[in-house]
Amino acid sequence: MSDNIYLPKLGRVAFIKDEVVGERAIKTFRVEAADGGDLFEHECGQCAMLSIFGRGESMISIASSPLIKEYKQFSIMRVGRVSTAFHDLAVGDVIGIRGPYGNNFPIDDWRGKNLYFIGGGCGLAPIWPLITTAVAQRADFKNITVFYGGRTSRDIMYRAELEKLRESVDVHLSIDKAEEGWDGYCGFVPAAVMDKDPVPDNSVAITCGPPIMIKFVIQNLNQLGFADDQIYTTIENKMKCGLGKCGRCNVGKDYVCVKGPVYSWAVLKNLPEEY
Amino acid sequence: MEKILDKKRIDDWIAALNDWEVHAPALEDGIWTYKPVSGAARLDHPNTRQSPKGFTFPQREVYFSFEQIKGEPPKLTQILPKETRHVVFGVRPCDGKGVPRMDKVFTDHVEDTYYTTRRKNVAYVGLACNKPPSATCFCLSVGGSPVSTDGLDVQLTDLGDRYFVKAVTETGKALMKAAGSLLTEPAAADQKQVKQVHTEAVAYPQRKINDPDGAPAKLKVSFNSPLWDEMARACIGCGICTFLCPTCHCFDINDEVHSKAPLQGQRVRTWDNCQFPDFTMHSSGHNPRENTGARLRQRVNHKFQYFHENFGMHQCTGCGRCVSECPVGIDIVAVVNKVTENVG
Ligand SMILES: Cc1cc2nc3c(=O)[nH]c(=O)nc-3n(C[C@H](O)[C@H](O)[C@H](O)COP(=O)(O)OP(=O)(O)OC[C@H]3O[C@@H](n4cnc5c(N)ncnc54)[C@H](O)[C@@H]3O)c2cc1C
Ligand code: SF4
Ligand code: SF4
Ligand code: FES
Repeated sequence: MSDNIYLPKLGRVAFIKDEVVGERAIKTFRVEAADGGDLFEHECGQCAMLSIFGRGESMISIASSPLIKEYKQFSIMRVGRVSTAFHDLAVGDVIGIRGPYGNNFPIDDWRGKNLYFIGGGCGLAPIWPLITTAVAQRADFKNITVFYGGRTSRDIMYRAELEKLRESVDVHLSIDKAEEGWDGYCGFVPAAVMDKDPVPDNSVAITCGPPIMIKFVIQNLNQLGFADDQIYTTIENKMKCGLGKCGRCNVGKDYVCVKGPVYSWAVLKNLPEEY
Repeated sequence: MEKILDKKRIDDWIAALNDWEVHAPALEDGIWTYKPVSGAARLDHPNTRQSPKGFTFPQREVYFSFEQIKGEPPKLTQILPKETRHVVFGVRPCDGKGVPRMDKVFTDHVEDTYYTTRRKNVAYVGLACNKPPSATCFCLSVGGSPVSTDGLDVQLTDLGDRYFVKAVTETGKALMKAAGSLLTEPAAADQKQVKQVHTEAVAYPQRKINDPDGAPAKLKVSFNSPLWDEMARACIGCGICTFLCPTCHCFDINDEVHSKAPLQGQRVRTWDNCQFPDFTMHSSGHNPRENTGARLRQRVNHKFQYFHENFGMHQCTGCGRCVSECPVGIDIVAVVNKVTENVG
């Protein structure tokens, strides 16, 4: 019998952390294979279909580096039925997991280059594996700079991890409006990027966040001299199967779950704007 | 293998197929529907209301059941389709054409076990259209023909009081062998008549897609055409066009809960539809296909551009169901012609 592509593996939740609380609550989960062993191998940028039996499935970016084999990390924002059920989980609970799905960031092509990461809101999760892998292989890359912004200081995820990153890379945090005690940038992420004048020579910029942020970040990068093929982003279309069958996530002829979610702007800008 | 079957003996052939569950069109409350048959099958239907795609891609497919006692890990039980063998009689050539298209979707990239299990257990005994049965037929425009054998295992051609029976696949030959002496050798006159019938069948005028070969490229450059919104204004988003289509394959996956403690339920796939607003709507409310124009464009472009770019063939087989059954008269032939007209 051939493999059943819809049958999930069982994963045990080994760790849960409140990342952001309040209206746009985000929790981080570490999931390991319920029967011991490894779940699957993945690459930076890929996703997995997570499920809670009785609630349903959701596509979530794998937020841990492929170098970590013992668990997969996910950061999930509470927005609806399945994500709320995730926020109600306790350590030890068992979930369904299938994947990995989608393409990946071409990290091997980027060795020897400067990397600029530009994230907003919960858009730090999809690029986090790339950031942490690059940092683990620090000598392979030139300057690494991380820009990340939240609406308020309470919307900043991976706060402690970002502080630790400062030891080996440049980290610039921003919030939309000034707050007492905030010593980072105040304003939107695209402006925070301009503030530091990233250099396009021998560089790649990777951006992920709300669509409107991505749009202006790309405009600004172009203005700074970044060519379209030096800019990468990811897109999220609604997904059900992850396998190019349910017909839901296409942009033109491509199913994002198979051909995406990672795109260079040089490719994406020529696709119909249906994302 | 080519044979002749006396029309009155079709029930004997069906009875001889005792390893198979036989289905054929039956008229029920004025609607032609595929139904299990054990005896005589009427093959005088224009076409069935629903396409036969449900034999391989049913409206509802259970993936697995889950069961969980509180504090214990869940137990999953995979539920694969039963290995019942089906023969479907009376499949029209346009619906036969749908079969290789669905095969592409469900086996490209990775194989869908539910589809392939059903697919290997179904055989299609097609019925050529001596004359296009409906005013909405346009198979000739999309690489089909009223006498096409694509996707079929056996092709029947109506010769008045008898059928000309032609095997298309090995499975088809096996079905014909099961008929034994019911099938007889065709005479030279039968051969001549079937040729004549087929020649006439393809000569009947049909509705036309004006430039089917140019459509993929022309649609591609017409993505931002104002015609989409204009032509979709009347659409009520009922989804009939896609549910009845022999090649529409979109689906949803949901968990159905039958008991809360202990937790018991099933993960189920059901047909879904690109004409529904929430098909693509994110939880945030953002919707990449916000209005009926964008959704009509998706349906038409999928059939006449995207599928063609991926697999080198149109996904539409010209059956005309979406044209004749749309409650507001949205007509895919007219839409393709209008949008591509005057495009370079
Ligand atoms: C490639 C990809 C990566 C993603 N990564 C993350 C991540 O790392 N963290 C995170 O919090 N969210 C992520 N999302 C979004 C996440 O999948 C949705 O927020 C989630 O499915 C909503 O499910 P729900 O049941 O809670 O919401 P409901 O509104 O109850 O959802 C109903 C159904 O809609 C679908 N859906 C709704 N919104 C989306 C959406 N934006 N994208 C895809 N499907 C959607 C799902 O299939 C869901 O089952 C990602 C989406 C994609 C496509
Ligand atoms: S059948 Fe007609 S009204 Fe219904 S969704 Fe299709 S195009 Fe719209
Ligand atoms: S798009 Fe319409 S005419 Fe074409 S195969 Fe589907 S239902 Fe038939
Ligand atoms: S999620 Fe089903 S086709 Fe992409």
